[in-house]
Amino acid sequence: MPVDRSANVAPPLDRREALERVGGDPAFLEELLSLYVREFGPALEALRQAAKGKDFQTIRERGHSLKGSSANLSLPGLRAAAYDAELAGREENLASARSSIERLKEEFERLTGFLTPSPAPRRASPPRPRRRP
Amino acid sequence: MPEPKLRPSGSAPGPAVRTVLVAEDDLVSIRLLERHLQSWGYTVIPARNGEDAWAILREADVRLALLDWMMPKVDGPELCRRVRGLSKDRYTYIILLTSRDQSEDIIAGLEAGADDYMTKPVHFLELQARLQTGQRIIALEDKLRQSQHDLYKLATRDGLTELWNRTTILEFLDEELVRGRRLGHPTGVIMIDLDHFKEINDTYGHLTGDRVISKAAAYFQKSVRPYDRVGRYGGDEMLVVLPDCGLEETIQVAERLRKTVEKARLRVPGRMLRFTLSLGCASSKNEAGRSVDRMIRESDRALYEAKQNGRNRVAAARDPRPRRKGEPHAR
Repeated sequence: MPVDRSANVAPPLDRREALERVGGDPAFLEELLSLYVREFGPALEALRQAAKGKDFQTIRERGHSLKGSSANLSLPGLRAAAYDAELAGREENLASARSSIERLKEEFERLTGFLTPSPAPRRASPPRPRRRP
Repeated sequence: MPEPKLRPSGSAPGPAVRTVLVAEDDLVSIRLLERHLQSWGYTVIPARNGEDAWAILREADVRLALLDWMMPKVDGPELCRRVRGLSKDRYTYIILLTSRDQSEDIIAGLEAGADDYMTKPVHFLELQARLQTGQRIIALEDKLRQSQHDLYKLATRDGLTELWNRTTILEFLDEELVRGRRLGHPTGVIMIDLDHFKEINDTYGHLTGDRVISKAAAYFQKSVRPYDRVGRYGGDEMLVVLPDCGLEETIQVAERLRKTVEKARLRVPGRMLRFTLSLGCASSKNEAGRSVDRMIRESDRALYEAKQNGRNRVAAARDPRPRRKGEPHAR
């Protein structure tokens, strides 16, 4: 039965669990998340190229590696999509590999959106003093 | 008869036990493991693929290794097999990290040579405890090897001089005679006796006698090639086995030993003590089927001749008459 992905509303990062895994150091968690974000682009590109070339071993290895780093940082959506990519590589299922790569991209966008601090609300300008007639 | 290369007895485990190789293709996982391991006092050597990890395991003195199962080029189980295939003196304790948790995977990992197995994501307190187990195993293994080394030494070396003991030097002579026969090479033997040793013991005491024997043994060790063997045959008699040496070369070595010891002095209370050697040479050259017994008999007979003819000299088997000091050797 197809899974309704749109129903996935859980946050892309379980910050409490991730903090626990990095020894409660928020700065170190930020460092690891930056590293993850930096490494993700080349990894996704490698997956796309591998799918294009039907290189299932690379799909499996890259998927596996992304699954590990996603699990370490408590990123459940990315972990699940990476696991699907690994599985698709193992089963040599190109359609499934393509769809999991697409999901990885979406989940990553969700993560970066979640990590980017939203702009501060604009302060209302003070009321102008009324001019006396 | 290669001797195992080991640390001196009783020394503490070296810094290598605080060094962990982390082989993992994912940078986030490496960094996370590194942070935890460093906070527990370990030094981390990272490797991002199996081939780099293999180069480190082969060359560096790494005793603890965390290997990811799935890595590009060489995977974790294959690395385990390679490490176990190495004839390294020291044991490397390996923990495989993997997301595979089926019992057949665990069995496959352990059969490949891993000592332990952890599923990912790694629980760090558990990892800390498992590394401590690894250290205990390494310490036990080191202790066992040290005991083996000590036992080997006790069984093969002479306690006073640390030369090979009688049994071992005779075994070595036997092996050399067999090897020489096969290759058509001669084997030289020198039987050595310290001149007037009984008088040294009677005059200066047995402790001084022991010092004389030890000093002579040290000279012999220094004066021969690394692949020659020197053993204590008994009392003040020593035996030197010279692979690939005919009678002429054997006599040259014996003469060098005689001269070295003749020049040496040993400080004893009240005076500087001189001592000399008598040496009997034999060689297996051109004679098939020479046995250990025959070589010993011939060198012993030559030694007897050297002593009969005034000591502090070299004599050789098949010599018509023993050579006097400084006189060219009669063939």
